[in-house]
Amino acid sequence: MRYDAFSKCHPLTNFLFFLGAIGFCVVIQHPMYLAAGAVGAGGYYLLLKGRDGWKRIAGLVPVFVVIAGLNPLLNTYGERLLFTVFGRPYTLEALYYGMAVAGMFVVMILWFGCYSMVLTSDKFVCLFGSLIPALSLLLVMVLRMIPNLARKGKQIADARTCIGKGVTGANSAKEKIAGGMQVLSALTDWALEGSIITADAMRCRGYGTAKRTSFRIYRMTTRDWALIGAMGVLAAGVLLAGGTGATFTPELWIASPTWGLAAYGVFLLIPTLLYLQEAVQWHISISGI
Amino acid sequence: MRKSTICNLLLLFVLIPGTLFLGTQLSGRWYYLTSTMMIVEVMIPFFLAFETRRPQARELVTLAVMCALAVASRVVMLIPNFKPMTAIVMISGIALGAQSGFVCGAVGAFASNFFFSQGPWTPWQMMAYGFAGFLAGGLFHKRFPLRNPAALAVWGFFTIVLVIGPLLDCCTVFTVSSRITWKYALAVFTAGFAYNVQHGIACAVTLLLFSRPLLSKLERLKTKYGMMDAG
Repeated sequence: MRYDAFSKCHPLTNFLFFLGAIGFCVVIQHPMYLAAGAVGAGGYYLLLKGRDGWKRIAGLVPVFVVIAGLNPLLNTYGERLLFTVFGRPYTLEALYYGMAVAGMFVVMILWFGCYSMVLTSDKFVCLFGSLIPALSLLLVMVLRMIPNLARKGKQIADARTCIGKGVTGANSAKEKIAGGMQVLSALTDWALEGSIITADAMRCRGYGTAKRTSFRIYRMTTRDWALIGAMGVLAAGVLLAGGTGATFTPELWIASPTWGLAAYGVFLLIPTLLYLQEAVQWHISISGI
Repeated sequence: MRKSTICNLLLLFVLIPGTLFLGTQLSGRWYYLTSTMMIVEVMIPFFLAFETRRPQARELVTLAVMCALAVASRVVMLIPNFKPMTAIVMISGIALGAQSGFVCGAVGAFASNFFFSQGPWTPWQMMAYGFAGFLAGGLFHKRFPLRNPAALAVWGFFTIVLVIGPLLDCCTVFTVSSRITWKYALAVFTAGFAYNVQHGIACAVTLLLFSRPLLSKLERLKTKYGMMDAG
């Protein structure tokens, strides 16, 4: 992932942005809002991923086509008939509706892709650590144990190779499975015994004796408050301006867009604008040297 | 009254009906948001019960290990399309109890999505895997004679094909359908059936092979360190 200004903001700012972006995305089915969502989500996704992002976006095209194309088979309402499939009407309105739903799905996937890169597990724990202390501790331990298990598993397999019990390509499938089971068994035993030792160490250091405090690397800055304020105003604008309605079947009707669309567009472009601002500042400071 | 009880009652009698009512009143496509909020609201009491019980360190870390094993089995896919995660969640539920089983499944689903990607499916997976652990724990935790690997495998297969798989497919229904009708839902469930059978077979095979060794390891741990006697 590249350097990104929005990712450096407080987790609360990140979380509220994605809550708004994804929330609006799944509820509003107006095609112009959808297009704004596609631009916002796609643009930010590409900024975060760089050139690799195109591959993912290209992979979403068939998903779009399948969802859009299948919808009229199940939703037969609509007036303009394109053709009939198995005696059932395949209408233009239903196809449009399918495209709207498919577009919503694709945009949502892109937003979640951005979310996964921006709101990492440490940020999640920072946000919800005090609300759900036991569960967030559990989450941290689980995430830490995965690489730990992989490393230990390799050590066990290597140790078995040293005493001539390793599995190579020459072994039969049955021997391979048996060897794998042995490694897994040893790994599980080690992990479970280790858990007791970890737990006893935690108890010795006073786990559960008082309210837990947590280390926080993120601080709310003036910029965070300003961003949250701006997001609140823009989201209220989208809700109050109206003009987000659209129905597809049985009759196509799309509300004429109001200035709410502009508010929505600005809302979605917040991370991209921050990225650009940082890039311009960096450029100016470089040329100043 | 305890704070958590008040919270649960509030959820059950105010928030959940409120969400349902609002979902039917609003025009537009609110299916996904309404259904996902329902799922989250249904999960809250389980998490609340776990939090307010203030789990001991030993229990917490053992649960974390089982959860990590479940996540690892999903992330390090040795055989393509073979997902033993549900089976490991079920075994955790059987050994540690229904509540721990739920937490293991839900946290496991959430944690494994940090390796793939969080998505619209995350709450549904958390609910489905959590429920798998909860069911297994509720049925087999206190009943040792029933813990026969073959019986567990058969039970696991049918639970996935009939309960857990359709629950996961519900996410697809609410996300990508334009009108929610029984016909549409049935079409999605039929399309997902082959996939669910595959998932069920993976679960059954894992239960058949791993339930006895894993359960005996966990029982040994409990006897050796005298833990979780109360629960």
